[in-house]
Amino acid sequence: MRKLILTLALTPLVLAGPALSQDKPLAGTSITVLMPSPQGPNIAAEFEKETGIHVDLQTLSWDDIRPKLVAALIAGTAPADVTEFDWSWTGQFSAADWYLPLNDAIDAGTVADIAGSSIFTVNGKLLGIPYTNDFRVMLINRQHFVQAGITETPKTLDQLLAAARQIKTKKIVEYPVGLPLSPTEGASTSWYLLTKAFGGELFDADFKPLFTTPDSAGYKALAFELQLLKEGLVDPAATGLRDAQINDNLFAKGLTSIMISGEPGRLGQMNDPAQSQVAGHVEAILVPTASGATRSYGLLEALAVPRASKNQKAAIEFIKWFTSGKFQVENYANGVLPTRTSALAELNKQGKLHSGDVLVEESRHVEALFPQGTPPWYPEFSTAVNTAINSAAKGQVTVDDAVASIAAAVEQAKAQ
Amino acid sequence: MTAAVATRDDTGGRTALRGDAVLGGLMVAPIVVTMIALVIVPLGQTLWDSLHRINPMQPGTPFIGAANYARMFTDADAGRAWTNTLLYVAIAVTVETVMGILAAAVINQVQIGRRWLLAAVILPWALPGVVNSVIWLWIYQPGAGLLNGILTAAGLPFENHVWFNDRTSAILAVAVVHVWRMLPLTVVIVLAAMQSIPGDLYEAARIDGAKRPQMFFAITLPLIRSAVAVAVTNSTVAAFNIFDEPWVLAGASLDTRPILVQIYLETFQNLRFSYGMALSLVLTAASLLVSLVFVLRLYRTTRFE
Repeated sequence: MRKLILTLALTPLVLAGPALSQDKPLAGTSITVLMPSPQGPNIAAEFEKETGIHVDLQTLSWDDIRPKLVAALIAGTAPADVTEFDWSWTGQFSAADWYLPLNDAIDAGTVADIAGSSIFTVNGKLLGIPYTNDFRVMLINRQHFVQAGITETPKTLDQLLAAARQIKTKKIVEYPVGLPLSPTEGASTSWYLLTKAFGGELFDADFKPLFTTPDSAGYKALAFELQLLKEGLVDPAATGLRDAQINDNLFAKGLTSIMISGEPGRLGQMNDPAQSQVAGHVEAILVPTASGATRSYGLLEALAVPRASKNQKAAIEFIKWFTSGKFQVENYANGVLPTRTSALAELNKQGKLHSGDVLVEESRHVEALFPQGTPPWYPEFSTAVNTAINSAAKGQVTVDDAVASIAAAVEQAKAQ
Repeated sequence: MTAAVATRDDTGGRTALRGDAVLGGLMVAPIVVTMIALVIVPLGQTLWDSLHRINPMQPGTPFIGAANYARMFTDADAGRAWTNTLLYVAIAVTVETVMGILAAAVINQVQIGRRWLLAAVILPWALPGVVNSVIWLWIYQPGAGLLNGILTAAGLPFENHVWFNDRTSAILAVAVVHVWRMLPLTVVIVLAAMQSIPGDLYEAARIDGAKRPQMFFAITLPLIRSAVAVAVTNSTVAAFNIFDEPWVLAGASLDTRPILVQIYLETFQNLRFSYGMALSLVLTAASLLVSLVFVLRLYRTTRFE
């Protein structure tokens, strides 16, 4: 009788055992994850609770991640089982064949829901799954606009220029436009956005530069930037400021009114009274363009698995979990804008998305910066762009010289 | 008998000599092995790799001879970075040497609280280069920066002056921060040498009617020459290897970019590893060559004076 009772009591446990291990087949595995700081504090614990996989989450400042990755990958080792993978590295890292294609690991529904996945696909190989959605909008301080008597939101670049002039004339702020002109990535990305806004592209299908003649969009974009600087609408100190410094030290303190190359993910921070002096006044607006029809492009960041990782299955599990719709909605509280269209719509429906309608609308106009695929020489091109912009802003070279030097750098990089 | 003793003595002496040689060999062995393993072999490997094309974006690592070295002559950005680096070396070595000797001479005269003064002087050298640079970044800030504030308070038109918008002032601004960090080391080296000069020499000179400047040039300067050579060598190597200051203050700006930043960009941004290696080797050679002049000078003064 006692045997029977014992058997009956143990039966559910015996039956549940395999089910539990099927639910968490990789339980007990440990993986390392390398991502930019800051990240949510409970990521590792939540993932372990759900999958049984232990995560050692390492964070570094975004600029410090790439040298760490390159140093480890060139040596044939894995810097971590899951790493950050920026859109701008796609060409280089794909040519070096450092990362595992994820086509078979990620379902078609996820790829379809994350439109930016195509940016990380080279020759049919999906190298990273986008987890943070960074496309460009413009951020404005609505209070400054109202104080200057501007009621219409600018839709064209001429209207934007007029608004900036009016804010300056009314002495709302001394420098209404926030525009990085330092030799940093932020100066490059602002120029790319303005090139799109002037109705052009950087390169043709064969990567021949399209920005060297005065009637080209890239040329006009640089001339526009210098005009803003010359008219005193941009702080001359912008030649030494990164985009993050302009966001934190100028825009968030109410010292400037328009962020030309605004990041949607910063809306939460800008409207948080603990982090911003302009909380409640910051809005995203559709990127004004020469024609009035908005355009933007994506600067997404993805998660990827190095080929040298020894825990590839568990690494893929982490990526699946981190890019799931449920977690993306949850992770918005940590300032990470979802890459899934469904998650964006859900947040907007819940009324949690700042300037939600604008973001959803702009996301429909997000293009790839390089529709033909990010070239392996992108980092070299970007440095040539921002150093040329920096030199032009300092008055050391003309617009003609600057665009010519960028084109020359492209040719040199391609020849290599 | 005498001959036998002498032979025994000779044998014993040779044995002792051999024993000393073995002991000496054993004592230097760790550093020799360490140097071979951590300096000579990597240097040789780097030299060999610099003669190949090592770029993870391209298949294979074919031998390309001196192509990486030849490329330096047509690389405009590298050329500009070399010019900037040589400017930093010239400014830093000159200012650190002159100011270092003068500062050491002044501190040497201080009788009360010298150790506290020395501790304060050493502080910039003790701080990491990045921390020093960030502090100076605030000082140079156009709006609320300390430097512009002081100049504006003095009635000068520097309210929103941007120091890094002009190449000359940008180079000087970076050099000032580097000198600020490295000057204390020169002071410490020279001060140690000054303190080892016997006081009798100054006393005798004073009795002979020598004035302070005469004592400085006739006694102090010749007797600290070896220390100055060490300090100058150190300043030269540090200035050739300048990175933190221009990187923190002006990023990759062509106006201030030294060769080490160029190497960093070529290697970790453009993934041209072997070109980065070639540039590194030339930088090492240039730094060693200039330092060698000072080391040889030091050797001569130490041996024959």
